[in-house]
Amino acid sequence: MKGLLRQRAKSLAWLLLVLIVAGLLSYGSPCAKGADDASGSVGNADAAVRQAFNAALDAERAGANVSGLIVRLNEAGAVLVEAEVALGDGNSSEAASKAGQCVGIAESVRSEADALKTSALDGAQTVFWMYLTFSVVGIAVFVAVLALVWRRFKRDHVEKTLSMKPEVAHNEA
Amino acid sequence: MKLEDYKQVFAAVGLVGVLLFATPALGLVVHLPSGQKFSELWVLGSGHMAEDYPFNVRENESYLVYLGVDNHLSSSAYYEVIVKFANQSESLPDTTAGVPSSLPGLYEYRVFLQDGQSWEQPLTFSFSQVSAAQNRSVVGGLRVNGVTLSVEKPEVWDDGNGGYFYEVFMELWIYNVASDAFQFHNRFVGLWLNVTAS
Repeated sequence: MKGLLRQRAKSLAWLLLVLIVAGLLSYGSPCAKGADDASGSVGNADAAVRQAFNAALDAERAGANVSGLIVRLNEAGAVLVEAEVALGDGNSSEAASKAGQCVGIAESVRSEADALKTSALDGAQTVFWMYLTFSVVGIAVFVAVLALVWRRFKRDHVEKTLSMKPEVAHNEA
Repeated sequence: MKLEDYKQVFAAVGLVGVLLFATPALGLVVHLPSGQKFSELWVLGSGHMAEDYPFNVRENESYLVYLGVDNHLSSSAYYEVIVKFANQSESLPDTTAGVPSSLPGLYEYRVFLQDGQSWEQPLTFSFSQVSAAQNRSVVGGLRVNGVTLSVEKPEVWDDGNGGYFYEVFMELWIYNVASDAFQFHNRFVGLWLNVTAS
């Protein structure tokens, strides 16, 4: 009986050992995992900054004033560099924290850029119709006024010409 | 003056008037070509002037220069300034072929600039673990803006110029929206340095 219990305990210990080793192999060391996570976070931050810049560029092309966005993008860029430096130094927690901070700034820039773009497009449409209306109405009024002036001028000119008295020229010779 | 002559004057005035009134609408559809598009990259000495550049540098002494970028691309741009370190036998960027140096970047700046905007930042650097013996020198560490980097860069004695010459150089890269990647912007500036141990 004692021997059987000892054998089972031995088997259980082996099983536990195998499970621990398998667990370590499948998850890797906690340190390496932390570095991988931090590296992924910095990569995400980099992508977030690029997307935020794309959104700011779209807003600028739509005619929005993006100077405020550019200031904040520079802030995000500086934090991203800090995250990369921390990652290079092996400081995973600092890298992940900076990357998170960078993503936060980039996402706020992106949403603000989208709002600015919509607003700028609306404004541009209003300006487009305003300018078009001004041009069309302005040309129509100008041409009508010019035609009226021309008719009056022509009438006056004809009347003036008809009312002229013929001049008699003397031939001294 | 005959009536026909007046008619021509009226027609000319009418044409000019129509063009003037059409200008705002034409401005919406006709875009005149803008000027030349380019970016500038520069390095200035510690006094913000193109002078007093470090040349004879000693181990563990800190040196200051200023890096600058100018955007004249008619739109905002996302730049990367990459700091690299080379000895005389290593490749520098080839601006004729538009190829950057194959050396790894040691430090970088990320800069966003609107059209017409300038950026200038200090770049401080110092060398550590410099050793020289038997016409051979090795720079072990480079510290850029407070970040210490291991470089382990060897160099041989330059008989012609009398020193161990290295170059700290900065490449300008620009983010390409279409390819969603940075590409070398074909500009670089560098500082030739005669590095000596303390």
